[in-house]
Amino acid sequence: MASKILSNKIYPLVFLTIIVLASVSLLVYINSITAPIVEAQQEAEIKNMLSGMFADMDDYKYEDEIYTIYQDSEIIGYAFLAKGKGYGGEINILVGVNEDFTIEDVVIISNTETPGLGSKITESSFTNQFRGMAAGDVALKKDGGDVDAITGATISSKAVVEAIRKAMEEKINLLEGD
Amino acid sequence: MENKNNNKKAGSKSLGAQFWKEFAKGIIISNPVFILALGLCPTLAVTSSLDNALGMSAGVIFVLLCSNIIISIIRKATPASARIPVFIVVIATFVTILSLVFQAYIPPLYESLGIYLALIVVNCIILGRAEVFASKNSVLLSIGDALGIGIGFTLALVIISLLREILGTGSLSVFGLELFKIPVLSASPMTFFILPPGAFLVIGLLLALFKWLGVIKNE
Amino acid sequence: MSNLITIFVVMAIVNNLVISKFLGLCPFFGVSKKLSNAVSMGIAVTLVMLLASLATSIINQFILIPYNVEFMNIVIYILVIASLVQIVELAIRRTNINLYNALGIYLPLITTNCAVLGITLINANKGYSILESVVSALGGGIGFTLVLVIMSGIREKIDLGETPRSMRGLPIAFIIAALLALAFTGFSGMM
Repeated sequence: MASKILSNKIYPLVFLTIIVLASVSLLVYINSITAPIVEAQQEAEIKNMLSGMFADMDDYKYEDEIYTIYQDSEIIGYAFLAKGKGYGGEINILVGVNEDFTIEDVVIISNTETPGLGSKITESSFTNQFRGMAAGDVALKKDGGDVDAITGATISSKAVVEAIRKAMEEKINLLEGD
Repeated sequence: MENKNNNKKAGSKSLGAQFWKEFAKGIIISNPVFILALGLCPTLAVTSSLDNALGMSAGVIFVLLCSNIIISIIRKATPASARIPVFIVVIATFVTILSLVFQAYIPPLYESLGIYLALIVVNCIILGRAEVFASKNSVLLSIGDALGIGIGFTLALVIISLLREILGTGSLSVFGLELFKIPVLSASPMTFFILPPGAFLVIGLLLALFKWLGVIKNE
Repeated sequence: MSNLITIFVVMAIVNNLVISKFLGLCPFFGVSKKLSNAVSMGIAVTLVMLLASLATSIINQFILIPYNVEFMNIVIYILVIASLVQIVELAIRRTNINLYNALGIYLPLITTNCAVLGITLINANKGYSILESVVSALGGGIGFTLVLVIMSGIREKIDLGETPRSMRGLPIAFIIAALLALAFTGFSGMM
């Protein structure tokens, strides 16, 4: 009788433990297959994005949150992430600059802005405006800068502009300090 | 929740007939979304586009099928008191596998489904089928049940996402291929429908329509 | 400090779990027929969310990240939530029987409440610290209670009126939710 009560209490625990162990080992095994693929993919994606900005790039290095872009072992520019708070949430932007710290190109990596309105920040008609600008020019026209805001999506446009300017000022300071 | 399958009575019918019965029931008579109102979170969250709806459906069918099979296999060894934790671990394992595979092989879908992929774990449909069906029936019938319910879920998601994508963007595309574009609507689409309020409205109206047509009887 | 306030307001109102993230819809439609039930459910969910966020963010920070096994988080989080619900249920039953009678029936449902698992995953995705996770859970829980209470208040009134037959029950509840969601979109862009 006593042993039956004991087994009634212990058996469920043993069974659950076996299931958890089986689950963990299966997951570790599958992760060991997929993890390298995911890593390679993320690297390819970054490389793809950077070479889209700097056509002449043949190598890059990532250090202190800045990608340094090389051509024939010479630095041709830098790229870094800028984060903005938009209308719907966070906006992530990749900013590429030349050695003279004017913008080569910007790419909106992710956003959760209103589809059809704020989400137009990803279109090239908006992002192309930034090309060639120095940090000081990056502001909406109504704030004395050179950027046309998207009609009906001033908050999203402003979020992008502010994020880019802030990130540029910060990183350029860092780069010039070296 | 109903469980019409009855092993004693079904003895007279062939296995194949039982399989088809379990399979067919999930699609219309006990459609998980429209009739049972289960698994609503993903139904609303991922139906803003057809791609997402199809991706989520594939995920749910995979997890439902795998967990139904495993739970049915171990049903005789599973102690009643540890039943729910065991089901949850089995389901969570398959959801993790799914999200690892999606992340490695279809990253865009993985990104756009976001946390809703992981939330398949708490999708009431899956735990519900484990508890009500797979833990009491043979493997073959559990497969039929999983496929039927899974296809019923897919059907619901596809109907909702078609309405939302067409009205909300004025066009329809599957995996990057544009199928058609409605001239006036696509120029100034009713964005409302791909936003959260549109999701609630579309499902509310669909439920009312099915009730009016007499598909939904109770309540 | 202002960061914490932002997280709280965003979680409670701007990105409300129910209205804009569609989490916790089952209790939102299931338990919102009466105001008193809605309040009890809201409190129970907030309590479990707070404890779950605390526990999972500690586990995340001291076990999953250092050993590089973050891919296990779904399995571990759901086990933590399931055990927490059991412990809370037991603790309330032993200490306060009145509270248990009020909240008891809702507790088992919370394990499969996507809002609880959802908030722990959101915290992990955003890389919140332990304190930030707790604040985000508090915001999420209060936001959940808020819309549940609003919804049940409206549904109590709707029951008194004449609703077309095919709209009764769930369909009209969804349409009310649509209007509520439309009102809440006014908050987006606030932060």
